[in-house]
Amino acid sequence: MKSQAEIDKFEKTNTQLEALHNEISMLSKKKPDDAINKFKLQFVNNVLKNANELLGEQYKPFSDFTLFDEDALPTNSDVIMILAQYLNCMEKLRSDNIVCDLGDYYWLIKSQKSKLVTSSPKKLKER
Amino acid sequence: MVLIRPRLTDCFDIPICQEESDFAIPFLDEDIPFCLDPFLLWRSPSMQDTSLHAMLVNSFNYLGFLVNKGEEAAAIEILIKASECNEVGLGFSGTRHGHKIGPKVASEILSLFRLIPQIQKNGFTHFEEIQLYIDQISKDRISDIACTYLKSWLIDYTIDQCQKLGIPTSDITLENIYNTKDNDFKTEKVKLPFNPQDKRPILLVPKRWLRWAPWINCEDYINDYFIKDVSEVKDRLTRIQILNFNRQNYDVVQVYIRQKERTQQDCKNDPLFQPIPILSAKRKFTAIKKLPTGKADNADKQYESYICQLLASLLYPHLDFADEQVRTDSGVQIRDMIFYNNRSIDFLTDIYNEFNSRQLVFELKNVEQIEREHINQLNRYLANEFGSFGVIVSRHNLTRAMFKNTIDLWAGQRRCIIVLTDEDLQLMVDVYESKQRLPIEVVKKKYIEFTRACPV
Repeated sequence: MKSQAEIDKFEKTNTQLEALHNEISMLSKKKPDDAINKFKLQFVNNVLKNANELLGEQYKPFSDFTLFDEDALPTNSDVIMILAQYLNCMEKLRSDNIVCDLGDYYWLIKSQKSKLVTSSPKKLKER
Repeated sequence: MVLIRPRLTDCFDIPICQEESDFAIPFLDEDIPFCLDPFLLWRSPSMQDTSLHAMLVNSFNYLGFLVNKGEEAAAIEILIKASECNEVGLGFSGTRHGHKIGPKVASEILSLFRLIPQIQKNGFTHFEEIQLYIDQISKDRISDIACTYLKSWLIDYTIDQCQKLGIPTSDITLENIYNTKDNDFKTEKVKLPFNPQDKRPILLVPKRWLRWAPWINCEDYINDYFIKDVSEVKDRLTRIQILNFNRQNYDVVQVYIRQKERTQQDCKNDPLFQPIPILSAKRKFTAIKKLPTGKADNADKQYESYICQLLASLLYPHLDFADEQVRTDSGVQIRDMIFYNNRSIDFLTDIYNEFNSRQLVFELKNVEQIEREHINQLNRYLANEFGSFGVIVSRHNLTRAMFKNTIDLWAGQRRCIIVLTDEDLQLMVDVYESKQRLPIEVVKKKYIEFTRACPV
């Protein structure tokens, strides 16, 4: 991470992605093939836009996907699938930018350990 | 440019759909099958409407005053003039031209002011009661009489709406405008919209005054009141006998009128188009899915019937349904569904601008696969008012070769033919139910998919 501001932006975006994933999962369980409305889609796209800025080309889940096209009438299950991919890639970005010190995890800013504590990587076993 | 079932606004290229307009958009060749119900004015909370109703009833009761004064000939003349209002185009005529009543019927109506003492003394509260005493007074006759008496107000209303929407008007000499000061008709030169085909004037009527049938009407009286409550003590009577009975039993009719007044809350204007309910739409789609492709057991006719009902509702209010099974001028070919393009959303504006489509044609094909001939058939329709945009509604997606064929048509002739399949209809029905998106957006999606596949 380049700065504390970027870490703040990451944490906000990640939280929003998780919240959207939870909310739309509920809709998707009920009606997976129903089109998502424009109001929700607008906010999903706003969060994805921030996520794209953080992830960059290196961490972006799909090179040919950037945002949802509202005219393509994406369904609940389409949105859930993409949000899940973004959540995983955000976690990959976080895992690559944290360091363990005496059992606690800290963010790296410009490859240097900072004082900002974070949680352990979700896929700890693989590391 | 020949429009199918042309309406005033479409003819002058005014982009407004029926749902948005305050008035019933008149057809140029035929009547709107609705009536102006005076009861809706009476029950309206608006002081303007109730005042107009009072004026209407007073003007009608003035005829009784003339009869009682011994000037029946003058009363007959006024009533005959009041009995038809072609300018509003309401009723059940296929030509927009009705006929006035004859002196005999007029005399019969006016005889009520002599024969029934209560009417002679107090007049009518609801003049539509005359249907319950006199034969040959249909529901559209009541509407026409009301419209003629209200013509002066309707002229102002029409001018106001035309100014708001930019509908062209012309100086027209209009006859039979009722003047409440001298209780007679006069002729005035006014600025009104006109039928471009025959230059006849057109008057607009607010939607809030329209019903399929007046709240007080003869069928309702006989079926829901007379047979149930009155005829138990009487033998089975014919319609004429019931009308005669009514003339002799004024109080029985008044009980019915009071009953209708008590239930006035249930009296609402009828919508000009009633979309089918969600449940019905889902059932129709389920029935479509079960239909086999082809013509076996009339499957193609059933498919067309279901699709017409379904699409007219799914696409409302963004596309007003114009007509189904419309023959071409030569009478050889039949276009399945026609919609007016009201340019109510951006996509429809694009279709209008890009392809010059003032009306949209939908061709219904209950076939396993769309063939070249089906595409060519729709392509032949795409001319004049339809511009160069058409929709095929079929069961399955186009094969790669046929899709390439539609792309080639765009590349060569700038024709845009898109296909709606069962899958798309499913999505349309789903969003019709969930209200998350608009069914018309599914058509837009198909259009965008098509344009993205076109060569740059």
